[in-house]
Amino acid sequence: MTSEATIIFLSLRIAALAMLIAIPSGMILAWLLARKEFRGKFLLDTLVSLPLAVPPVVVGYFLLWSIGGNSWIGKAWESLFGGNLAFTWLAASLAAAVVALPLIVRSFAAALQGVDPQLETAARVLGAGPWRTFLTITLPLAYRGVLAGVLLGFVRALSEFGATIVVAGNIPGSTQGIPSAIFTRLSTGETGTAWRLAFVSIAIGVAALLVHNYLLNRARESNTKSSENTR
Amino acid sequence: MITFDLRLARQNFNLNVEGEIGRGITAVFGPSGAGKSTLLSALSGSTRPDHGSIKLNDDVLFSSEDNTWLAPERRRIGVVYQDGALFPHLSARKNIEFGYKLTPAEERKFQPDQLISLLGLSQLIERKPDQLSGGERQRVAIARAIAASPKILLLDEPLASLDVARKMSILAYLKQIHEKFELPMVYVSHSISEVVNLADTVIRMRDGEITGTSTSVELLLGNVPGETDIEKYSNQFEAKIVDSSGDLGLVEVDGVKISTPKLKGETGDTVILGIGANQLIVSLGKPERMSARNVLPGDIKNVSTENGRAYVEVDAGPKLLVELTENAVNDLDLKVGMPVHLVFKSSNVEVYLEK
Repeated sequence: MTSEATIIFLSLRIAALAMLIAIPSGMILAWLLARKEFRGKFLLDTLVSLPLAVPPVVVGYFLLWSIGGNSWIGKAWESLFGGNLAFTWLAASLAAAVVALPLIVRSFAAALQGVDPQLETAARVLGAGPWRTFLTITLPLAYRGVLAGVLLGFVRALSEFGATIVVAGNIPGSTQGIPSAIFTRLSTGETGTAWRLAFVSIAIGVAALLVHNYLLNRARESNTKSSENTR
Repeated sequence: MITFDLRLARQNFNLNVEGEIGRGITAVFGPSGAGKSTLLSALSGSTRPDHGSIKLNDDVLFSSEDNTWLAPERRRIGVVYQDGALFPHLSARKNIEFGYKLTPAEERKFQPDQLISLLGLSQLIERKPDQLSGGERQRVAIARAIAASPKILLLDEPLASLDVARKMSILAYLKQIHEKFELPMVYVSHSISEVVNLADTVIRMRDGEITGTSTSVELLLGNVPGETDIEKYSNQFEAKIVDSSGDLGLVEVDGVKISTPKLKGETGDTVILGIGANQLIVSLGKPERMSARNVLPGDIKNVSTENGRAYVEVDAGPKLLVELTENAVNDLDLKVGMPVHLVFKSSNVEVYLEK
């Protein structure tokens, strides 16, 4: 039986990798939704939010279909690295990333919308390319909202259960994070461990939400302040 | 010099303009929705037109024919926006240095410190934009744009949200910068009083088209429908304080002494004066024993009439525009070249800026 520390550490590792996947892709999607007008934007918006609206098990099933042994991604993975991509901790991270993505994209898009596009235009005219403009103007002005989105995404990734269990299983020491460990302990009657893990989940969740709300309030204040100044 | 020939179609708006912008100060004047800002954003690279071309000196910035479109960061065109668009997370100094640092060392023409002192920003240079007044923000925005060593400076209604005194002070700075750095400027405005005092050339726009190009004085004398600022037109010029100790001030401009309301500055300080065109009286002989403190001799340079109003331009040291009735012009038989005296009270002199 794996120790509780191992479970917590594995959970954090899965969620951290999920963030490494979801943050860059979420930022690109959020930027498209917040700053660009294009055909199919409405469709993209819907698609990005879909994991929020369907049961996580369905998301897991779809992922399994996309990266399982019979899919071309699965086959490509096998020929490159040997072995399966499904039922690894990487697959668990992927599942967590997909379910966290809608929250991240929505938070990022709101944060980017709070930045006056004219400031970006001004930076470009002053000689900054698109990347430098994003890194020196947009991101510093949106960082509170972005950070809040990352926190929200991170706790969502930590809590992921339904999609993970389908595409990555419930393998102790490999894909068994806090939620699936609680599930297992409950079914085997180890309620003491289950309670302790549940408490850890709640503590992380409460802490993350407190910081998240604090950041959003600060972001809102500074937005009102700067918009008052431009009037 | 910029030459442009642009067409752009949007849902409720078409821009169709052709023209050129020289080395002086060019004003683009017209009502809201005329396409002034769209023209500027096409020049600076923020809005891509559908057809046409833009050339800055010998560089092609845009050409729909060979599909050229230079990104804004590669144009070296400075822009000052209406509300400044200062970066709120950076201090005034960091704002000013933003473009300067991105300019290759060999292309840097203006030092931030030079601009900071020229625009009187030394005291507030470490402040964030939200700790600056509207006028201070615009001065920082001007310094920021110039520190990036642009080949031309575009100003998009930069003073629209400021009160008259601040406007005058910033206009004086702009004129000074233009003369000192020989920096061509394009100044967009819907206020004729701003335009005529600053610009040499005025491009008039309406409904997405250029309706004419003229000198500032021609514009002033012409019939510009919907423009009410004409009555308020005030002759503005710089003068040096000669005496500020008394209840009335005394200043000098081009060798002519003018009596003003009480001044706060020191002898030798520069001030900006404004005298409303309708506050000036024209006298044929030299008036003696008058209560009005200012009697300036001069020659008539231009006379024109429009809608029952007459405008007489008199060179009295400073060139002053006088608004009269057509009757008065006919009675006195005012003609170009005639020597006259301009009479006005010291209380009719507005002192806008004491630097």
